[in-house]
Amino acid sequence: MTRRMRYLLALAALIGGCAIVQAPAPGPIPEPAAAPAPAARSENIAVASLMDGASADLAAGRYANAAASLERALRIEPRNPRLWQELARVRLKQGEYAQAESIAARSNSWAGDDNRLRAENWRLIAQAREARGDASGARAALEAAERQR
Amino acid sequence: MSRHKKLWRYLCFAFLTVALLAAGFALYLDFRVRSEFEGRRFALPARIYARPLELHAGLRIPQADVVDELREAGYREEVREGEPGWFVRSTDGLEIAVRPFVFWDGAQPAKRIRVAFDGGTVAAVRDADGKDLPLTRLEPLPIGGIYPANNEDRVLVRLGEVPKHLVQALVATEDRNFFAHHGFDLRGMARAVVSFLRGNGLQGGSTLTQQLVKNFFLTPERTLRRKLTELFMAVLLELHYSKEEILETYLNEIYLGQDRDRAIHGIGLASLYYFSKPVEQLSLAESALLVGMVKGPVFYDPYRHPQRALERRNLVLRETKDQGFATLEQYTVARAAKLELNQKAAMGTSPHPAFLELVHRQLRRDYDEADLRSEGLRVFTTLDPRVQRAAERVLARKLEQFDKDKRFGAPGLEGAIVVTDDHAGEVQALVGGRDVRYRGFNRALDAARPVGSLLKPAIYLTALAEPARYTLVTQIDDGPFVWKSRGAPDWQPANYDKKFHGEVQLRTALAQSYNAASARLGTELGIERVLATVKRLGVERPLRPYAATLLGAVELSPLEVAQMYQTIASGGFRAPLRAIREVTTQDGRPLKRYPLAVEQAFPPEPMYLLTAAMQGVVREGTAQSMKNWLPAESAVAGKTGTTDEQRDAWFAGFTGDRLGVVWVGYDDNRAAHLSGGSTALPVWGELMAALDPEPLVLPKPDGIESVLIDPQSGLRADGGCAGALELPFAQGSAPAERAPCASAVGVAVEQVKERAKSWLERLFGR
Repeated sequence: MTRRMRYLLALAALIGGCAIVQAPAPGPIPEPAAAPAPAARSENIAVASLMDGASADLAAGRYANAAASLERALRIEPRNPRLWQELARVRLKQGEYAQAESIAARSNSWAGDDNRLRAENWRLIAQAREARGDASGARAALEAAERQR
Repeated sequence: MSRHKKLWRYLCFAFLTVALLAAGFALYLDFRVRSEFEGRRFALPARIYARPLELHAGLRIPQADVVDELREAGYREEVREGEPGWFVRSTDGLEIAVRPFVFWDGAQPAKRIRVAFDGGTVAAVRDADGKDLPLTRLEPLPIGGIYPANNEDRVLVRLGEVPKHLVQALVATEDRNFFAHHGFDLRGMARAVVSFLRGNGLQGGSTLTQQLVKNFFLTPERTLRRKLTELFMAVLLELHYSKEEILETYLNEIYLGQDRDRAIHGIGLASLYYFSKPVEQLSLAESALLVGMVKGPVFYDPYRHPQRALERRNLVLRETKDQGFATLEQYTVARAAKLELNQKAAMGTSPHPAFLELVHRQLRRDYDEADLRSEGLRVFTTLDPRVQRAAERVLARKLEQFDKDKRFGAPGLEGAIVVTDDHAGEVQALVGGRDVRYRGFNRALDAARPVGSLLKPAIYLTALAEPARYTLVTQIDDGPFVWKSRGAPDWQPANYDKKFHGEVQLRTALAQSYNAASARLGTELGIERVLATVKRLGVERPLRPYAATLLGAVELSPLEVAQMYQTIASGGFRAPLRAIREVTTQDGRPLKRYPLAVEQAFPPEPMYLLTAAMQGVVREGTAQSMKNWLPAESAVAGKTGTTDEQRDAWFAGFTGDRLGVVWVGYDDNRAAHLSGGSTALPVWGELMAALDPEPLVLPKPDGIESVLIDPQSGLRADGGCAGALELPFAQGSAPAERAPCASAVGVAVEQVKERAKSWLERLFGR
């Protein structure tokens, strides 16, 4: 993809975000554009195959390998909230509760309007807090998950 | 008692004493030979690798850069059937015979791939049958090692891996009776004497075993006593060990050349160094070249003295043929072969010593220095050679240009660069000065310099975290400001342009880097609070709680600044900067992984607002000249920094995929005419432009709304206002008041539209 095409896409995302509100008078783009809505599965076959590998590793208990694959995928698509979410899941399994919580929050920051993804992130956060003995924090996270509907 | 008998007793005694002494000496030597030979493990340096290039469809990299990377890895541009390590150009891209490599997570076998390019992007990666491959890693470039004290470098090989013709050439040339003798070779010595007497010069006459003993146990002095000890030890070695064991050790020990400060030892490393291929693949001609160098690796250096090395090789080939180890045909073919050396530039202990130093420091937290220098660990780092090369090139070129212009002062400007990714804290490049091969003062790590205005974002972030008090358009006062504190002289910060600007919008004060407004804002918020923000951004060095600290009377290294700005670039998620991904043993067993770690240090809303303000710095503030390198659509966010008397120039900023910090100044800290915008920024701009950056697109947090604002008044605008800006505000914090240009109706319409939009969004679940 050429640089120009990427700018066009970024612009398209921006315009998409302002579908109703008229775009402001021409001039420099005044603020960060809205994050594009995440795809259910990456269209990038490299990312898709790394995710498949990570799921297999996760299922088999090879957590370090699963995490490494997800980190490789994140180098390709750092804005893919699903990758962050999967990484949070792996960290939870590894007993890295603080990391699981932070990484799930990172996923939320890229989740856009994907409420199901957000709800799942909040559930992961709830589990991480629970595991750390923060019962009230866990409850608050579960409530946040409920609110995502 | 007869005299005779007495003498006899003395003789006996003397004999016994001598015999005992000799036996003792023999036992001592025997002990040394055995304990040292058996206990001897070659010290293997930790081997450091760059990140592997991962080829996949959609990767943004021009074909030329992939070719650069392949060349750097010693790939040849020609088809070589039956062996990996080459590439050729095809109509739509490259065909590559990828070498096998043992990665942290397993081995990737050799394979042939076709990579198609479309502009600056990889369009497809396919295997030999045309099947799409999701992802293929090229083997990572070695970028140096952590060496034993004498900088000995080697790659161990097993005898079974060494081609038979190499061993035969070695034996034919250095020690014909190797497989028959017992450590010394009378015929060989006789031959050496005859040759010497005939005037053919002094020849070795030492067996391989003797040579090994000499290298292994003894100092290089040439005395008769040492020669005898050597002989004796050689015999002992032969008594205890098989020919194969001795030969294998010899092949791993032998000194075969010098790469700057790095000593090339052993046939395994020599084969990689001279031919960039594993020892198994050495041809007869290549083997003969290496064997020929045994006699004098510096004298027969094929890079410096190709003709001499070629003649020596051909001599070795002739010996090999004459000893019956090669047929006439094999000999003729090998003799006709050209040298075909690896064309890679000399690298020494590392081509990127500044980055290596960062790796070394991070390794020392987890490993013993001795282990690093001897255990042969393999360390996989985050270095991106593309970014590193670009950073080195740009810094050298720009500083040279500044020196020539003499606009900024005397020649001898120095600089440093740190580049990281924007989400994981991986350091992609680090330049410690303009002479990048110099392994001395590393400015990126160790030059703590005043940061000037680079600290200001912390003031504004602290303010924007209180949306009820501060928004991007809140009016703040840039009038003269005096800070009085007991026991210290009054502090009166002046502005860069020596003027005061009265009431200005908060975003403008940051964009123009107004000192009086920023100092006033910072002291209103509380110095301690601002410094707490700095700390949360990742600056661990304790800062003195003085008002002047707010304007950057603080000394930080470029790496520390990078850590601080990394937290901003990743939306408030602080990720400790890392230079290492994985460490394995020498045979690839994983030892340790350094995983991505993030910590949410700030809520997303104020971070979003701060980033928008920092985009303003580039769009319309002190970093406007960025447009000379990157188009407005890149939406770069950044901050310039200039210190008192313009001694230091900084630029720190980020795009959609990278964060960069550039420092320019003089080592002796002299006053100059530097400013962040005129020196550090051009370096940054040129570097990022060379890397084809992604535009900066931030995820908009829930608690943020966009409102049309009249830039002059900072009040609500509508479609009727020319040049209106859409600015982000924390929910409910946008000004209610209308700008003069906005009609009452217009604003009302905007509000209805917004409501309709959010209603529609709810309806369609967008």
